[in-house]
Amino acid sequence: MGGVDWGVMWYAAPYMLTGAVVTLEISALAMLAGTSIGVICGLLSLSDLAPLKWLVRAYVYFVRGTPALVQIFLVYFALPVIGIEISAFWGGVVALAFNSGGFIAEIVRAGLQSIDAGQTEAAMSIGMTNRQTLLHILLPQSLRRITPPLTNEVITLVKSSSLLSAISIFELTRSTQVIIAQKFTPFELYALLAVYYLVIISVLSKVSEYVEARLS
Amino acid sequence: MTTAEPLLRIHGLSKLYGEVPAVDRVDLEVAQGEVVMIIGPSGAGKSTMLRCINRIEQPSEGEIVVAGVNMAGEMQGGRFVADGPVATARKRRKIGMVFQRFNLFAHLTALDNVAIGPYRVLGAPLAEARETARELLERVRLADHTAKKPSQLSGGQQQRVAIARALAMRPVLMLFDEPTSALDPELVGEVLEVIRSLARDGMTMLVVTHEMQFAREVGTRVIFMDMGRFLEQGAPGALFANPQHDRTREFLRRISHRPETEAARQPR
Repeated sequence: MGGVDWGVMWYAAPYMLTGAVVTLEISALAMLAGTSIGVICGLLSLSDLAPLKWLVRAYVYFVRGTPALVQIFLVYFALPVIGIEISAFWGGVVALAFNSGGFIAEIVRAGLQSIDAGQTEAAMSIGMTNRQTLLHILLPQSLRRITPPLTNEVITLVKSSSLLSAISIFELTRSTQVIIAQKFTPFELYALLAVYYLVIISVLSKVSEYVEARLS
Repeated sequence: MTTAEPLLRIHGLSKLYGEVPAVDRVDLEVAQGEVVMIIGPSGAGKSTMLRCINRIEQPSEGEIVVAGVNMAGEMQGGRFVADGPVATARKRRKIGMVFQRFNLFAHLTALDNVAIGPYRVLGAPLAEARETARELLERVRLADHTAKKPSQLSGGQQQRVAIARALAMRPVLMLFDEPTSALDPELVGEVLEVIRSLARDGMTMLVVTHEMQFAREVGTRVIFMDMGRFLEQGAPGALFANPQHDRTREFLRRISHRPETEAARQPR
């Protein structure tokens, strides 16, 4: 009893690495899908299409108002009920994309709205269509403002992926729990787990700092 | 009355905000080459009227025809069909606008602010669009500042880039919405000089301004606007020397006193 079992960390690290790869795969896919959903929904919420605007608002309301874990359970257990059979892995991707898409929609909306109305008026005055104004004037300017909150959202997404352990996806957290069940060393392995997440998220932060610097 | 079709014809234009008319049943005809100065107290509806002409603001009522083109829609098979957003954008191309706050595209250099219209809207090759932009910036005497971002330019320089940006679309009509009101006094002259040179070249212009001296010298006509209506208009000499309407007199009196009160505050 007592003392820290360092050896178990060496034993667990490679197993956890395979889990970390799954975490990264799921996060990357969910980030791509979530960003696409978020950009489309963010643009829709600024459009003149009232029904779609309300749909987006309802979506954001739901995502913000329910725990990510509940959303994961809903996707995982509800999709089969409505006849969509997907693996736990893809269920996890869908759930996280659904979750982050709602938040990213708000980030995109706020980013575009923060651009001075005079920019849009000037674009209109030289005959730009709404699409041209968005593409050539508003998006390039909002990109820099969107990057920091978007980074936060990606970080949140990576951390939320640990919730997927609840639907038996062998991502980083789940794979750690499996080894803990064998070795009964929760402290050491959860500490190592924390380090894994810290490393992943530190790398993400660096990437985003670089992108931000490039944009300004 | 002239028989030639005016370049700009406004008939019965109103813009209501709720129940309140900002512009109230305005009629106006502007011939090719005219420089119409619009003066009046703030809140008179001057800017709103300008913004209705290129439909940055949707008019509530009335008809606006620019160079024979109805800005609201087209007759199709004996029936009036309102323009969609893309058709409206297309019609805006030939109306240049200069804003009080410049509104240069913050992410682009002076050169690309001017080039983006020909390039993205008119579909010119980028090199050609930039060449046009360079010539226009030279014309507003900014040849040395093409690579600067708006934030690196003075207000007067920004406004001259904005004028070049509008000219790059080869407009038939230019709208100026208080182009010098946001400028430091010492920068007003360089912008007015550019507008003056456009007038010499025969550009048709509507200029909302508080620069009375400039309005008198450059305008071919001056309109006094108040409470959304044209109270009085005429040749600049006549209107400034002998205003017919009490409100015009009152306004001109207050305006002419302004520099003196400012000077009175100066001595320390």
